Amino acid sequence: MAARLLYCAAAVSALAVLAILAFLVYFSLPLFQGEQLAALLSWHWRPLQNEFGILPMIAASLALAVSSMLVAYPLALGVCCFAHGLGPDWAARPLLVAVRLMSSVPTVVYGLVAAFSLVPLIRGASSGSGFCWLAALLTLAVLALPTIVLLLDSQFQRVESEIRLTAAALGLTRVQEMLQLTLPLSSRGLALAAILGFGRALGDTLVPLMLAGNAPQPPLSLLDPMRTLTAHIALVVATDSQSAAYNSLFACGLILFLLTVLVNLGLRRIRMGATAHG
Amino acid sequence: MAERRLENIAVVFAWLSALLVPALLAVVTGFLLLRGWPSLKVALWFGDTPPLAALLYGAPVFDGIWPACQGTLYLIALVALMAIPLGVASGIFLAEYASGRSKRLFSFCVELLAGIPSILMGLFGFALILFLRRTLAPEANTCLLLSAFCLMLLVLPYLISSTRLAIESLPDALRLTGASLGLSHWQVIRRILLAASAPGIFSGVILAIGRAAEDTAVILMTGVVANAGTPGSLSAKYEALPFHIYYLAAEYQSPAELAQAFASALVLLCLTGLLLLAARRLQARLEIK
Amino acid sequence: MKRFTTRGTRGMTLALICSALLAGAAAAGELDAFAGKKGKIDIAGGTAHIPVMKDAAKHIMQANPEIRISVAAGGSGVGVQKVGEGLVDIGNTGRPLSTEEVAKYGLKSFAFALDGVAVAVSPKNRVANLTAEQVQQIFAGKISNWKSVGGRDAAIHLYTRDEASGTREVFWEKLLKKGVIVETANVVASNGAMKSAVAEDGDAIGYVSIGHLDETIKAPTLDGISPTQENARSGKYPIVRQLYMNTKGTPQGLTAAFITYVMGPDGTAMTAAAGYLPLH
Repeated sequence: MAARLLYCAAAVSALAVLAILAFLVYFSLPLFQGEQLAALLSWHWRPLQNEFGILPMIAASLALAVSSMLVAYPLALGVCCFAHGLGPDWAARPLLVAVRLMSSVPTVVYGLVAAFSLVPLIRGASSGSGFCWLAALLTLAVLALPTIVLLLDSQFQRVESEIRLTAAALGLTRVQEMLQLTLPLSSRGLALAAILGFGRALGDTLVPLMLAGNAPQPPLSLLDPMRTLTAHIALVVATDSQSAAYNSLFACGLILFLLTVLVNLGLRRIRMGATAHG
Repeated sequence: MAERRLENIAVVFAWLSALLVPALLAVVTGFLLLRGWPSLKVALWFGDTPPLAALLYGAPVFDGIWPACQGTLYLIALVALMAIPLGVASGIFLAEYASGRSKRLFSFCVELLAGIPSILMGLFGFALILFLRRTLAPEANTCLLLSAFCLMLLVLPYLISSTRLAIESLPDALRLTGASLGLSHWQVIRRILLAASAPGIFSGVILAIGRAAEDTAVILMTGVVANAGTPGSLSAKYEALPFHIYYLAAEYQSPAELAQAFASALVLLCLTGLLLLAARRLQARLEIK
Repeated sequence: MKRFTTRGTRGMTLALICSALLAGAAAAGELDAFAGKKGKIDIAGGTAHIPVMKDAAKHIMQANPEIRISVAAGGSGVGVQKVGEGLVDIGNTGRPLSTEEVAKYGLKSFAFALDGVAVAVSPKNRVANLTAEQVQQIFAGKISNWKSVGGRDAAIHLYTRDEASGTREVFWEKLLKKGVIVETANVVASNGAMKSAVAEDGDAIGYVSIGHLDETIKAPTLDGISPTQENARSGKYPIVRQLYMNTKGTPQGLTAAFITYVMGPDGTAMTAAAGYLPLH
């Protein structure tokens, strides 16, 4: 009896995912039926001229996620290595506490601070308005950093508990242990953290909405404004509910969903691959 | 020699990162304090309305963040009410009852749910209302309940994972002892395992609540508005703190309003910070065991 | 002391009390329509209307706490869609409804104010006048440096509104003459957001409703005509539009009372205070 109730409870989460997918497909169906699908695959979003291309938004989302990971990941790795031997022992604890505090800062607060400190800075140092790819990229990197650090930290802890004695017996310094043993042995965890961070950056709405300028153009320069899929959905959500502009929203949602699934499959792959090795 | 070089570079880079990160945290909090601290007065919450009248008699508050705080608190309460039973039950199921294929399938679904961006959750909520209006409930509208429902879906994976982890990391000895005493599986869970994993479960609950309190993308699409006063009912529009901050940041009409945005950010930061501390405290207790 | 208690003074006091009572009654009379009622009014749509809506909502809710009024933004397109679909009671637009919209949803329009749309720049910008053609070329991306129009040597930062905006539609039709707005422009979601963005950015150019103009932004003259409400009323400033409240079908109950209130003397005062020209 209890088992059955619990089964139902677990089924709810499964159903939720299916329901979300079902709704996205249901509401995007009108697109696939007309020629609107081809219209979506264009580089111009000009609804008043009946152009509903969402390619700039897709490109922007991917570009932002990749670039913010390129900034956040090395930093996170550096922080984690510092906390696991490359820095003095007494510093590891406070550093991780600081990182945890950073993880509790709400996204909207990061957006607020960046909008009134980073954006004017970029505006003053360049010819653009400050609302651009760079502003969103840096803020997103700061946002994703704590998550990646904490993931890497738990991964390193696991590996180190196994090899610490061996490494000491071999006469390795902490630095050598980290570079030559821990990192290679943590390859799975490193990949996991990268992909999770990427997924996080891809799905964020508020940072691009507040900081990236929301111009529907392909991202060609760091100092140009851009519009991600997530910001696009937030901006366009309440246009006429029959028009192609509206249906394009659900296509955006579908694409985001598919990207999420891909990210998750990637994660699964890595985890499965590891358990095969034991 | 090249190895030495590499090691030195690595150490230098690690030091730089380790200095940069706390510096960033200091900059963020410092900036907020600088711009927001002067506005942390009673007027921030209640505007012109006397606080006692607002708190006790429900006098409407204008130009204050109290309605937004109320909206956030109601959201948190609703989400907790819906998510805790569902999440804990699912976690127990995954930890104790599921096996093999169904376990992998459910786990995958939970991971997928965890990876869904919040804006999609909001889009789902919005689409749900449109669907309901066309079919079952023509009067359905975006409201507090819808937002709470979508937020619940958003935080469910946190609860499920932390419950599952907490229960799975309990030593087998507990289960064996329970079985040897003649307890059924469910009795073992209810009487022994749940109590033992309570700190882990609570910390998951607190993390979920923190997530629900700070989310903006979901509520943006499912019923939050800039001005609504105290939420009248589950089917009413409402205000919320994170949206209030976003709204003021985008369209403050005076320096005072901008300062209010920073002060509200401080309030929200305190809320999420406290929740994090509570969660960490509980996890520490779990680790000691 | 006896000297002051003359008939004249008593008469004056009586007159004072009477006029105070009358004034109170007049003011209360406006809000009488809401006395003893319960319910809610949901309003969404045009962002130019928001100051007036908020003010009216505040007065009504203070007089009768049983009534709840929520005001959301979104732009004129949102207003039409939401009121048409029945999601809100009043949908505000800053442009007239199209025939399709009226036919599709059966909406009724109530114009309550006259407003204009003005080009907005930062107060630090020394440009004081722009011709219509210059504005068209700036927004089309053909003029990209302020020095071409008399400002300093700096790139022009363009700000525009999202497609649901009535302000954008009026600006596009009447000033840009349906010209192109280049895709590299930053997009903001409301009049308030446009104002904040332009106020912050010294090289910005955007457009706002005249009611939103204040000392934080500057509106250069258009072909020599100053964008003020007087010029809008007299017709000298051509980029004008009316502000409408729209309902699905004839408004009933609280909604009708609210519309009457906004178009009545109290509402007219609020409209004027917000910087618009009341139509009654």
